[in-house]
Parts: sequence; structure tokens; C-alpha cells
Amino acid sequence: MAVIRATDPPAERLDREALIADLQRRFHCDVAATESGTIASIRVTDLSELRPLCRSLFWDAGCGFGGIVVEERPQSWEVRYIFLARFAGWIEVLVSLPLSATTLPSISAEVHAADWHEREVEDLFGLRFEQHPRLGDFILHDQFWGEGLAPFRKRFDISKAHSNGQNNVSWRPLLVVRDPGAFAMPVGPVYEGGIGESVHFMLETVGEDVLRAIPRLFFNFRAVEKIAEGKDVGQALLLAERFAAKSSFAHSLAFCAAVERISGVNVPLRAKQLRVLLSELERLRHHAGVIAGICESTALAVSAAHAAIIEERLLRASCCFTGHRYLFGLNIPGGLRRDFTEQQCQDLLSAVRLAAKQLETLEDRLSFTSSFLDRLEEAGVVAPETARDLNLVGPVGRASGCGHDLRKECPYGLYKQYEFQVPSEKQGDGYARLRVLFQEAYQSGTLVGDLISSLDSGPIHAPCQSRQGFALGWVEAPIGATLHWLRLGESGLVERYRIITPSFNNWLGFHVAVEDFAFQDFPIILATFGLSATECDR
Amino acid sequence: MYGVTQGLLFLFFIACACGIVLSASSRGKATLWTIAVFSTVCALALMAAAALVLISGQAPEMRLWTLEGFGRFTLRLDALSSIFLFICGLVYLPASLFVARYLGHRFEERYPARRFGVFHFALMGSVVLILIAHDAYSFLISWECMSILCYLLVNYEQNPDTDTRAGYIMLAMSEAGFLCIVLAFVIVGRGAADFSFAALAAQGLRLSRGAIWGAFLLGFLGFGVKAGLVPVNFWLPRCYTAAPPTFIPILAGVTLNLGFYGILRLNMDLAPAHGWGTGLIALVVGSLTALVGILYATTENDMKTMLAHSSIENAGIIVAGIGASMVFRGSGFAVPAAIALTAALYHTLNHSVYKTLLFQGSGEIEAATGTREMDRLGGLARFAPGLSVVFLVACLAISAVPPFNGFVSEWITLQSLLRSAVLASSSVKIVFALCGATLALTAALAVTCFVKAYAMSFLGIKRGDWEPHSIKVFGHSHFSSVYLAIACLLLGVLPTFVVPALNRAVEPIATASASASLVPPFFTATPTNQQLPPAFLQDFHNLGAQTGSKILPGRGLVLLVRGAEQNPVVFAMSPSYSIVALAFLLGLTWLIVRGATQARSVARNELWAGGIPRLLPEMSYTATGFSNPVRVVFQAIFRPNIVEDTRETVAVHFRTAILRRREETHLVDRLFFHPVGDAVNWFARLLAGMHHGRLNTYIAYGLVFLLLILLLFRLT
Amino acid sequence: MSFWFWNGLRRGIQTTRYPKSMELERGVSPGRPVATSFKSSAEAEQAAGQCPVGAIVARDSVADLELGRCVYCQRCHFGARYPLDWKYDYEWAQIFPGAQDFAVLPKPYRKSLHVIVVDAGDCGACLHEVKQLNNPLYNVHRLGIFFTPTPRAADVLLVVGPVSENMRVPLQKTYEAMPDPKRVLAVGACAISGGVFGRSAMSAGGVASILPVDLEIPGDPPPPLAILHGLLVATGRKVPAAGAQVS
Repeated sequence: MAVIRATDPPAERLDREALIADLQRRFHCDVAATESGTIASIRVTDLSELRPLCRSLFWDAGCGFGGIVVEERPQSWEVRYIFLARFAGWIEVLVSLPLSATTLPSISAEVHAADWHEREVEDLFGLRFEQHPRLGDFILHDQFWGEGLAPFRKRFDISKAHSNGQNNVSWRPLLVVRDPGAFAMPVGPVYEGGIGESVHFMLETVGEDVLRAIPRLFFNFRAVEKIAEGKDVGQALLLAERFAAKSSFAHSLAFCAAVERISGVNVPLRAKQLRVLLSELERLRHHAGVIAGICESTALAVSAAHAAIIEERLLRASCCFTGHRYLFGLNIPGGLRRDFTEQQCQDLLSAVRLAAKQLETLEDRLSFTSSFLDRLEEAGVVAPETARDLNLVGPVGRASGCGHDLRKECPYGLYKQYEFQVPSEKQGDGYARLRVLFQEAYQSGTLVGDLISSLDSGPIHAPCQSRQGFALGWVEAPIGATLHWLRLGESGLVERYRIITPSFNNWLGFHVAVEDFAFQDFPIILATFGLSATECDR
Repeated sequence: MYGVTQGLLFLFFIACACGIVLSASSRGKATLWTIAVFSTVCALALMAAAALVLISGQAPEMRLWTLEGFGRFTLRLDALSSIFLFICGLVYLPASLFVARYLGHRFEERYPARRFGVFHFALMGSVVLILIAHDAYSFLISWECMSILCYLLVNYEQNPDTDTRAGYIMLAMSEAGFLCIVLAFVIVGRGAADFSFAALAAQGLRLSRGAIWGAFLLGFLGFGVKAGLVPVNFWLPRCYTAAPPTFIPILAGVTLNLGFYGILRLNMDLAPAHGWGTGLIALVVGSLTALVGILYATTENDMKTMLAHSSIENAGIIVAGIGASMVFRGSGFAVPAAIALTAALYHTLNHSVYKTLLFQGSGEIEAATGTREMDRLGGLARFAPGLSVVFLVACLAISAVPPFNGFVSEWITLQSLLRSAVLASSSVKIVFALCGATLALTAALAVTCFVKAYAMSFLGIKRGDWEPHSIKVFGHSHFSSVYLAIACLLLGVLPTFVVPALNRAVEPIATASASASLVPPFFTATPTNQQLPPAFLQDFHNLGAQTGSKILPGRGLVLLVRGAEQNPVVFAMSPSYSIVALAFLLGLTWLIVRGATQARSVARNELWAGGIPRLLPEMSYTATGFSNPVRVVFQAIFRPNIVEDTRETVAVHFRTAILRRREETHLVDRLFFHPVGDAVNWFARLLAGMHHGRLNTYIAYGLVFLLLILLLFRLT
Repeated sequence: MSFWFWNGLRRGIQTTRYPKSMELERGVSPGRPVATSFKSSAEAEQAAGQCPVGAIVARDSVADLELGRCVYCQRCHFGARYPLDWKYDYEWAQIFPGAQDFAVLPKPYRKSLHVIVVDAGDCGACLHEVKQLNNPLYNVHRLGIFFTPTPRAADVLLVVGPVSENMRVPLQKTYEAMPDPKRVLAVGACAISGGVFGRSAMSAGGVASILPVDLEIPGDPPPPLAILHGLLVATGRKVPAAGAQVS
């Protein structure tokens, strides 16, 4: 078992070249920079070195873990483990395997955040990870699906309905609490007035306190990555912005960034500015929604109503500004689909300022409402070392002092040029998460103001020819870092599209970090994590 | 009359003897038939004899032979004995049939039933002898026989480890208790003409205060062992858990009562105390016993052990009643004393009935499913509907829910505690109030406990891996269960007929009639017959108190306590009328609901569980989960030790198991048994240290002791 | 703590007047394309070709719409060479084309309607818009519409999402657990036609392949008022939209 050291990741800039040189010295690997130069690629030749190498990257060098991208090439498997060298770009660890290979070494014992990635790969590609303690029954629920389906293999025709609907009666939930009187309270997938997302929880308990909450996700699994294959970029873009609406702009932006990186297009300045503006507008609206959810979970009805009004006003402002309440249909590779007038911008600005002001009032009132604070403080505490261990991202990670923010650490678009703060807290409880959400919302409001006052007056779109190649697009979505890895084939059609979402990361963190809590705190803890099941499920 | 009673007793002993002989000589099915037939004859004879005595009010006495140096052996069937004898017969009848049926199903091959039959009849004989013995010698000899037979029967199934140990503890405790009882009799009998109870009773009136206290403490301790009082009851849950299902109904329904009988006989009949001190001790000990018993019963998940703890609780309630009665009598309030004693005797009767039923039920469940763990049961109602109904009746009765019997006796017990208002000393009143509160809490917890017992075993989903069809072989209801369930109902509905019978025993002890107070003679009282004040009679007459007089013979159907002039009724209730009202209301409700919903079609669908394909046993409430709030609230008493709380992980991120195991040391074990055991061990080690086999040292020991004794004599 | 109370009072009533009068605030609806006449059939063909999901059908010189398929990507309007007309309304609910005989719920349901929502693979937008109905700006409680967590008490089933395979059984069970009379509303393009996810091994491509659908509310997502319109149509308090076929 790995010895975990609770080290704070080095806040200073990593020296990627020195790091790679060191790795080259210690391991048998080839190093190549990919075409756009943003990703340093390390090809591992000796499979047994994969684990120590990943461990070295994650623990010794303090890199963040991005995710695993598995690709079935015509002759081989290509497995990429993506790491983020803080402030110094991306590092991918590339493993090539013959197509006949069925197993890989598991790195999740060292890099815990890789756990669910490996389970996902096993379910979808049929690649098994040696020494992984629990594979199967993950995305394809064993109640409905047999083993060995591997729907993401190229030979699997996703467009045809597959034999399903048989009810596997021998299925038993895998529970961890071993106590003669232990039982699991089942919650969901249809629950919470039905307005909750489809998630099934097993709250394991021996009465009174819940010892462990085991979420059963992927009820919303629509195989977005698979059905995108063979589509052109315009069609795939529809999928990218429509699989998770609450951060749809971030996802479409990440997709477009990948396409643009492949094509080598230079996006005009105004489009870049507007993209930042819209990203921040989305973040503000998203956070207002999460805050409304938190207020609602504590049954503080008036505050929930206030927050919900703020959110709805922002949705309406978005609609007036862009023509869509959830910012669909704006991003296209090469820029934006439509431009906005000065008057529209001013209207948006006043709406955003009003929202920020109302949020400030709300926060002020909430911080004087003891019944509210009592329920949030020390609810669902995630210690900083746990957050680092599980690679929590977004506001949740930042509330536990583990603040990867791609806008700062690996800036994209125009973020380098704008001043903003990344709030960070140490307590890691529900209240810390709420404070981070408020602070980020204010920052977003300020950023929108800054941008509108400095908008360039150029074109908003550069023509973008899709080319063959692959690239990574990354965006700091409202929930956290999201990565879209895209390979386009010869005819410009999608060959492999991989979406790594922050919710996927944080759901894993949520269910591991939150143990031993009172049953009535469960909805509150869940609300403060602001997770999205559909973003996780894809 | 005399002759008939004696004849019935004679018949009993003959049948008992035949049972022993035939059990020993027969084999196979014949043994079972012997047990069934002769036990039935014995039980019926007992009930008939006891009933005759209670009806006639005459106590037949049989003088047996005289033994030089010991005095005359005498048997006497007085009213107190008759009540316990009646309970004994009432329980033995179904229990023996259950035994025969159970053995027939379970032990045809492995265990010959012969030995069991012999012990069974021998125990029955010795129990009856204890109850009708009228001199200390025969009483003590039969008591000793009973103790040994109990030990043999507990170990009958010879499960290797736990059972023998539990049996040993029981035997050791019984012997220790026996020693106390002997000493108590010695204190009472010092200076008496002989050791017959008549002589002892005469001597009892002349005893000094110190002697009375000595006799009380020793007797209470000695009989308390059998009755399962704190702190000498640690053998009871162990032993009940270990005892075979064939024997526990007897253990709980018959031998437990011997403890109460002993306390009543010795401390209220032979050597009654004068002040309220002794009674107060009994009351407090009883209340504490009840609370401790029910707390452990509520959190226990092994059905047998749970029922054992519940027996302790009931014993506590009974002894609290006896204690209250002693206080009232010692303070000179004869009527409240009679009421409290009636309550205690009534509860003894009730407890024997429903606890026998519950233990039979648990035995059937265990035989059918192979487990007693309520965490693993569940859903039994579907497989054994008959058993489910009788078990539910027993659960309702023991939870003191009307119209069943537990309600009546617990209600009278609590009401009699409220009568402490008449007492002079306010400190005693406070103790009464606290004990009343404790008993009320106990009653509330009892409901929790038995809701859990019934719901977790019979309702919900099957949680264990037992086979549902196996229960059909055995688990259907049977005469022995139905009989007891009906007894639960009748004893609950017709208390006005039970109280006068109990009063036969109460009246001589409490020196007042409980039935005159509790069951005023409405049916026989007319305005011309001035047994009751006319205004009082009029009020109740208008309320319909005499409604049942045409149907039922008896004194009336209302249970009430008459007070003084300004407050004519202290408390009153009528379970008999209540059940009629209850039936009427239920019927009416049913009719209304039916009428209102007739036009509707009712669609039945499976349980809604959030849309998951199937609700699995893992997802249903467990007994542990149900009682965990009680465990948490009373944590200070349980003091659970988390023996194991490990989180097995492959890595921090991946839990494979969270292991939780709590171990609770029973309060009594913690505070009494273990310290005493440790002290004994320490002393034994000390003594062992003195023995190292050198002759010189031993001679030195002798010399030192001789010197010490000489010194002692010199000083005195 | 009393500031919550006073603050609530000071804010005044912000709830929409709909359905008594139309809500006219901007931004409550993104609007939708409407059938548009072009100069020639060739232009109409061109206009139809702009649609990534094939929701535009050229009929002679008119570019007509299949609203159930439209994912509201706006590619036929903003920045389009042959832009379709756009209409900012929200009374979109219409009878599902495949519904055999739609009847509104009986009269008692007009003032008390219990709704259960099932997220069957939704992206979160439709679900979120349904959730918005509970906020004070829409406040459907005033119309006697309540969201309920259990299908036992529900009269209307709102389904959002294309019905992912893993949600098929829960959705069926929810429907079966509802008492009669009950109505099923497909909310959003995904629930109606599968939307961008279409029909695949992992998605049923719309609710109609699993349950009998009564009403459809097109939109991606339909704004809250469109969903409210659907609920009012189900109880007979509003008439359904004329349908996709515009002459």
C-alpha cells in the first residue's frame, strides 16, 4: 500500500523541463513534445514503470492529475495519463499496447484520483487494470448489462439498440460496512420531488449516523464520447454543449479550443474577450444556482427564494444577451457565432452588477443567520490532504486549500491579461465551500465589468478548417477543470472524443471524503459540493 | 371438597410418577406420547385442584410422616400456593404439548427424548412440592431438587461450550441463593416449636426488628436469584439463551415464579416486616430491575436473549408491586397493600402466559429458520401467518396494549404506586414517584422492544439465507399457542373475574380484601342491598356498570378503586366494556371505509423504492438500526466498547470494508459480577500462594491459627 | 433573523401574472424559429440544409419545422445565410403526434395537480427549467401545482432527457407506480425525439418508445413558462399550441 504523505503541492511554478529530464534519468521513457507544444509527452516503454512514474509525477513533483484518455487506434491501444505541471503546462504519460492486450497496470493505488477513470475504462473498453480492487458494475449497471460488452470498442455499433432490459435478479449491491445490523438506505434514482438528478445512493448505516454514502451514478449515461465518433465538428459541438447544460459554455469552449488547436486557428481578440466574458457569466449564474441549492437544503426558504430569483434574473439576462438561457449555440470553432451590440453589453453589465450586489446582501444576511451556519459548519469536512489526495477540483477543492485553477495555472484564452483572485479556504467544510462560491461569483462579476469596458472592436470569428490531428482543450468550468481530448480523422470527422469533467473527479472525492455524518445532513453536504450527475455520467 | 382436592393432588403425583417410569422405559414416539398425555393429565389435575381451593376458599392439609430431629413433613394447599399452582398448570399444559411436538420434529434421531421426559416430570413434581410444602425442610429439599433438575435440563442439548458454562453459572447462583434461603429460614425458625410453616408464622410475629431485617435481606437475595433481580440476575440471560427451546417456556413461565412465591411466602406470610424499609428496598430493586431489563431487551437482537431480558423486566415490575404492597402494609394501609399485591400476582399470572407463548414462538422460529438473530429474520408473516398472529397477540400483551392482559396488571401496578399519596413520609412518596416514573419509562420501552421484535421478525423482507419453505413444515400455529393467545385475551378482558380469585390469597396476607375495593359488587348490589353508598351506585348504574349482569355471572365488569366520601372513585376502568366499544368502533370504521371506497377500484402495485429494479434485503431496516436510538440515548448505561472499528482500505481512496463490532458488558456484569469474580479470583490466588507443599510451613500455619484462636478466646 | 421576513416583504410580489395575462419580460423565452417563406424552393432547400439535426423540411418555397427535432441551436437564424424567422413566445405545448386520444385530466385536477419529474438522461437544462417553476418568479403553487417525490401521489409525469438505458427501468417503474388517471409530458427535444443524442444502444431516443406520451413541450430547453403551459394544457386550463404544421 502506498504511503501517503500529506504534502502541500508546491505553489511555485514547476520547471517542466527539469522534471522531465529527471524522469528520463530515472525511467526508461522517450520524450517528445506534441505539435502545439502545450503537452509534453512521455512514452513509457516498460509497463512496470508506469506506476512508479505516475507516482513520481503526482506525489513527488506535485502535479495535478487530469485523467486517462484511452484510444483504440487501428493497430494499438494508446493510453494517455494526463498530468498538469502547475503553471508549466501539461504532461502526458503515453502507453502503447498491442490491440490484443487486455490488461494494464493500475495506477490508482498510487494516484487515487485515477480510480474511477480505470473503472470506467474497464467497463467501456474491456481493458482490465491489474490489482484494481473493484472493477465492473460501474457505468454499465450490472442489474441491466452483462459483463464484457465494451461498448466503446470500435467494433461495437452504438447506433443499434443492444439486448438490454433483462433484469439481473442476482445483483447485489457492494456494501462496505460489515456489522451484523448494518443496512443501506436506498435513495433514488427518482427522489427529491423528482427535481433531483438521477443518482442512486446507498446510505450505509447501523441506525442513526450514516457511515458511508455510496453513490451509484451513470443513470444518465448516454455514451456521448462514443456517439460523437464519426460526426463532423459541427455535430459534435452540439453534443459538447448539450451533455451538461449547467456549464455548457465551458464545455463547448473546451471542445472548440481543441478543434482550434488542431487547426492552428488564431481566434480574433474580440471573440477571445467575449469568450471570457461568457465563461464568467456562466460561472456567476452557476454559482448563484448552487447557492440557491444550498439555501434550499437547509430549509431556509426566504434565502433560497432570493438566491433563486438572482439565478433566474441571470438566466433572463443571458437570454436577452445571447438568445439562449443556457448559452447554447454561441461557440463555434474559430470564434463566436454572433456578436453583441454595445447596448446589449451595457444591459448585461447592469444585470450582472445587480446580481453581484444582491449576492453580497445575501451573503451578509446568511452570515448572520445562526441556524443556517450551524447546519453548514463542519458539515462534510474534507481535509486539505484528502482534497489533494483525491485531486478535488473547482470550488470544492479550493475550499479545502487545494486550488487548482486552470485560469491561473495553465491560462487559456485571455485569462493571463485580466486581474482576478482565486479564493481559497482551509477548513474544507460546507461553509468554506459556500464562501468560496460567493467569492468566485464576485470575481466573475468584476471580470465581466472589466471585459465590457475593454472590449475590442474586431471580428468575432476566424474561418476554421478542420484538419487531421489531436489536441487537448482545457477550461476551468464553474465546477472545476474540464478537459476535452479530441482526435480528428482525415476527413475532419471525430475519431475519438474524450471528456474529462470536474464532476467525475469530485463525485469520487465526495463519496470517499464524506464518511460518518448524520442522515439529515446528507442533502446539505450534497448541495455544498454542487455536483452534477449528468456532467459526470456523459 | 377436601377429598376431591387431595385426590386431584394424588392423581397428579401418580401421573408424574407414571410419566417418569414410562419415559424412562419407552422409546421413540411412545416417549413423546407419554410426555404429552401424562403432562396434560398432571396440568389439568393441578389446575383443577388449585381452582377448587380458590373457589371454595378451603386449604386442604396433608400431614406426612415425621422424621426424628426434623419434625413432621406437611403439605398444605393454601390460597397463595393455589395461585402459583394454577399458573404452573396453566403453563405446563401448552408447554408440554409444545415439548412433545418439538422433540418429535427435531430430535427423533439425535437425542432420545427419554432423558428429557424423566427430568421433565421430575421437575414438575419438585416444583409442585415446593409450592405445597408447608414446612421448611420439605420446601428446601424440593427447592434443591428443582435447582439441580433445572441445571440438567438447561444442559440437555449439550451444546459444547456456552451452554455448560451458562448452566454452571446458574447452578452456582442457585446454590448461593439456596444458602441464603436456608439462613433466612434459620433466622426465622430460631426459637420456633418446629420448622413447619405454621410454627414459623407464629414465631414470625415475635421476631425482633433485626431478625426480620436479616430474614428479609437473606430471603430477598436468595429468592431474588431465582426471580432474576438485579444484581444477582447475571445468570439469567446466559442461561435462557443456552437453554433448549423445549425448556425455556417452563423456565420463564414456572420456575421464575418460584422466586416471587418464595419472597411472598417468607417475607409477607411467615415473617412480615413492620415498617416500610424492607418494602422500599423491594420496590426500588424491582423498578431498577425492570428498567435495566427492558433497556437490554430493547437493544438485544438475539430473540431468546431479548426475551430473557424482558423476563427480567417483568420480574422487576412484579417485585415492585410486591414492594409497594409491603410498604403499604408496613405503614398500615391494608387496602392499597391488597391492591398492590393483587397487581403483582396478576402480573405474575400474565407474564407466565405471554412469556410462555413468546418463547414457544421463538422456539418455532429458530427451529424453522435456524436463526434467532432478528437482524437476519424478517418477512415471516408471509410464511407463517398463524404463528404471526399469536406472536403479535403476545407482543401486544407484553407491551401492555389493551385489550390484552399485560395492560390490566401494569395499569393496576402503576395506579397502586400512585396511591402513595396516602403515605405520611414525603421521602417515601418521592421514592414512589421515582419508581413510578421508572416503571412508566419501562412500559414505554417495552413497546419499542416488542414493536421491534414483531416487525423485524415478521414484517418486511426476508434478510437471512434461511429457506422459506422449511417454516411450513413446522411453523403453523398450534393448539398450545392458540390456547395461550386466548388466555392472554381472556385475562385482559375479564379481570373482574380474576381479581376475586387472586383475592383469596391476597386477603390473608394483606389483611384486607382487594376485590371488595377493586371489584365492587355491582351485579349483586341493588339499591335496596346497601353494600355500596347509593349515590355512588347510582352514578355508575347510569353509566351502564350493570349492563353485563344478565350475560355474565360475577361481581361486575368495572375495575375501580373506591376512595373516601369526597372522592368516591380513585381510578376506574373496564376492559370488558372497552373491548365491546373497541369492536364496535373497529366494525363501524370498517363499514364506513368500505362504504366510502366501494365505488373505487384499488390498484395494487409493488412497493415504491425510488425506481430501483428491486428492493433488496440489504436495504431494509434491521433490528439493530431500529433500536439504535435507544442505544444512543442510554449510552451512559450501555457503555459500548468499540472492540473493532477498522476501515479496511486498499488505499485511502478505496474502502473495501468498514468493520464495526461493539461489545457491551452488561451493567450487572460490569458493576457486580466481574468485581465479585475478580475478588474471588484474587482471594483464591492468595490462598493458592499459601500452598507450596512444604510441611514446615503447614505446621507453622497450624500453629499461627491455634495461637490466633487462643488469643480470640482470651479476648472474649 | 427577522430581517428575512422584512426583506421578503420589501421585495414585494415578483411573481409572473401568467396565465392570467401574458408575461412580457424579455428573457423568459429564447424564442424559436418559425416556418418561413423563401423566394424559391432552392433557397428553402438551402435553409433546410443549415440545420444540423434535420428539423427543417423544405416544402416548395417554405422552410417548415419539425419542432420536436429542433435543438434550438440558432444556426438557422444567427449568422445564417438564409435566416428563418424567429418568434419570442412560449406557449409551445402541443399534443404528441403519436398520442392516440388525448383527453385533458378530469376537472378536480384543475386546482390540484401533483407532478413528478423523472430525469431520464437529461443534460440538466430541462430539469433546471422545471425546477425554476418552483422559484418565486413563477411559483406554480399558486396554481395548485405541486412537485411530489413519490409517483403514488402524482398525476402528471414530466420526463426530461432521451431516456438513457440505465434509466429505462426506473422510468417504467415510476409510470407503473402512478395511479390513474395519469398523463405523460415529454419535456424538451431530447424527450420528444432523442435530440442530439438520437437513438442508440445507450439512449432510447425519446420517451415515446417506452411510455405512451400525451403532450410534448418542444424546446432545448423549453423555458419555464412553456413547461407551465404544458401543465395547464394537461388540465384543460389552456389550449395546446397549433402544432408544428403552419400553413
